[in-house]
Amino acid sequence: MSPAIHLQASDGPARLLLVDDEPQIVRALTPALTAAGYSVETAATGEAALSQMAGNPCDVVILDLGLPDMDGKEVIRRIREWSEAPIIVLSARDLESEKIAALDFGADDFVNKPVGVGELLARVRASLRGRERRFTAQPSFKAGDLEINFPNRRVQVQGDEVRLTPREYDLLRTLARHAGRVVTHKQVITSVWGPEAQVDAQFVRVLVAQLRQKLELEPSAPRIVLTEPGVGYRLKADDDA
Amino acid sequence: MDSERDTALRVAYFTYDVEAARFESLAAFGSSSGDLTLKIGPISSRTILRYAAAFAIVALFTGLAEYIYQLSHLLRLSALFLAAVLVVAYWLGAGPAYFAAFTAFLAFNFYILGGRTPLSFASWESILTLGVFFFTAMLTGSLTGRLRDEAQKAMVRARTTQILFDATRDFSATPDEAFIHERLAHHLAAAAGGGALVLTGAATFASPAGLAVSEDLRRRALALGEVDSAAGAVTTFAEGWSLRPLYADGVSLGVAAWRPPAGGKHAAEAQTLLAILADAGAAAVARAHLAAAKSNAEARARTEELRNALLSSISHDLRTPLAAIMASASSLQEFGETFDAATRRDLTATIQEESERMNAFVANLLNMTKLEAGALAVTRIRFGVQEVVDRTMRRQQLAHRRTVVEAAPFAELEASGDPVLFEQALGNVVENAIRYSPAGSTVRIACERADGEAVVRVTDEGPGVPGEDIGRIFDKFYRSPSVAATAGTGLGLSIARGFMEAMGGAVTAANRPKPERGLAVTLKLGLAPQ
Repeated sequence: MSPAIHLQASDGPARLLLVDDEPQIVRALTPALTAAGYSVETAATGEAALSQMAGNPCDVVILDLGLPDMDGKEVIRRIREWSEAPIIVLSARDLESEKIAALDFGADDFVNKPVGVGELLARVRASLRGRERRFTAQPSFKAGDLEINFPNRRVQVQGDEVRLTPREYDLLRTLARHAGRVVTHKQVITSVWGPEAQVDAQFVRVLVAQLRQKLELEPSAPRIVLTEPGVGYRLKADDDA
Repeated sequence: MDSERDTALRVAYFTYDVEAARFESLAAFGSSSGDLTLKIGPISSRTILRYAAAFAIVALFTGLAEYIYQLSHLLRLSALFLAAVLVVAYWLGAGPAYFAAFTAFLAFNFYILGGRTPLSFASWESILTLGVFFFTAMLTGSLTGRLRDEAQKAMVRARTTQILFDATRDFSATPDEAFIHERLAHHLAAAAGGGALVLTGAATFASPAGLAVSEDLRRRALALGEVDSAAGAVTTFAEGWSLRPLYADGVSLGVAAWRPPAGGKHAAEAQTLLAILADAGAAAVARAHLAAAKSNAEARARTEELRNALLSSISHDLRTPLAAIMASASSLQEFGETFDAATRRDLTATIQEESERMNAFVANLLNMTKLEAGALAVTRIRFGVQEVVDRTMRRQQLAHRRTVVEAAPFAELEASGDPVLFEQALGNVVENAIRYSPAGSTVRIACERADGEAVVRVTDEGPGVPGEDIGRIFDKFYRSPSVAATAGTGLGLSIARGFMEAMGGAVTAANRPKPERGLAVTLKLGLAPQ
């Protein structure tokens, strides 16, 4: 495991807030997160998480959706009222609608329980990078074979220029903005067709298929634009496992 | 003439007798089918009686006139006879009035005047008298008739309203379809006088009970029910039967049939009322259908809700230990060298504890299935209760990192049963106590011997269970509202009860007496024979 790359705004190690009411999960995750170089705080209830965030804001929140005192979505909504800190939802629920709702409420990403610490750490890093990008607009994006030049809207795969339609480019740009993190169908529709558009998720699937035809070596086994079943899409980031 | 008009009226309004109905209570009408007989016969005894009454009145007035003549020798007494005609016309209607006019004229002319004045029968004065008598009879009789018509119409309206009211009140009393069909037949029969049937694909409802239904009628009725165009129409059939398909919301619900009493018939108004009655019944049946569909849908939704809750609960109970195991194992794999010995030990302990917890959960699910299928194998051996209690305590303390205290050790307590099942039942009860009481509070286990039984009591310091729900906590999937936020399947205690009862034991629960708080669950099992 390579040492973690910290891109937090403040000096010192990035601070994580781990919110889960199951003590064994907290016990199991804390050592690895600490070993990866983060300073880890924990909370067992939504109220505790909110007061901890208010007292000493953390850089990333890892949040279990099933809390004893309040719905995890409510915690997300209340954090988002004033904080832009990345929120990664950690959930044993396999209801797609819950994940979508959590993302639409402002969560940045989600991981399903059970999860290996390797994957969780990768998501934490992606979140921190995404936050970094929000503060400093990068003129270009590079991940694996893919390279995007934002000012002149140029896209290259393995150095070869790829010609995209305006919609395909908007989709790719949206995914790149959230590289490594999941983007829901609704988020894609909002940024490609506009917030008022009455567009079915089927349109998004068609557009993604078109984009894959142009970017992927093997469109049926995508390696750049990945599908999160039932939820949305994820653009593979540089250091994804 | 009179009897014709009268008959016409009677046929029009339901074959019942105006005079008789006047003295009938309206409520009694619906069921007194005996009064609904239609009379189309030539002259009824009542008519004869009315003419006789007219004759008697004229005779009375004649007597009065004779008496006045004897007193005063006045002969201008035609006004008195006019009064007699008026009285008859008012009381007895137009027919008897004409009869009275003629009789009064004869009595006046021949009895009072006869031989006393030079006036003859053919004189102008007597013709005038006769004319005035007849004119009075006609005018008064028709006025009285009209009054009666109005009264009768009002009564029929009231009766119609009453019939429909009674019927709809009956219909709305229940969502039971068979009952509505039965009441519809009853009300139709009461209104029609002869009898009624309600035929559905599955059953036939007849009123009066035991009414003979010919195969032809049944076939015709069922055929009608399948023809859309028959909706909203009354079809007639042999033996005076009228048929009306029961339709509501475009769905055929069967056929209603009715007939008048033998030899009678129904007028258009009566048929309309009966058809409305049938339609009200159809609407009630349709409403019952909807109510049944609604309650089915609600039951389905509840089942669905329960299934979702159960699935999400099982998924939570399986995935939480799995997540802890996965996180610990992957942490050890990725950071194994950098962790200190204590952290490594902690992580491996977590893996072990969580595996045990998962194993216990899977065992519970399996046993539940066996219990449901009746495939649970129960052995009956002598075992030490204390030993099982100790083992359960150790295991639960480890798994939950909570304090479980043994309040009353009882080394020589021996019970007869299946120690494996008893341990699982006790484990579920203790786990329940730990799960639903605040972290840091103590769970106590006490053993005793009472009434020839080994008794193990588990008490916690949790919120207890609301009084009215205490009996339900052993029901499968039941979860107390006071612990709704804590994950759980509602299976543990129901399995505990299943196991205890399979061994001939019992498990009960009670809130601890105030001021203590929490729940006390008691397991009882027969003592081993000495």
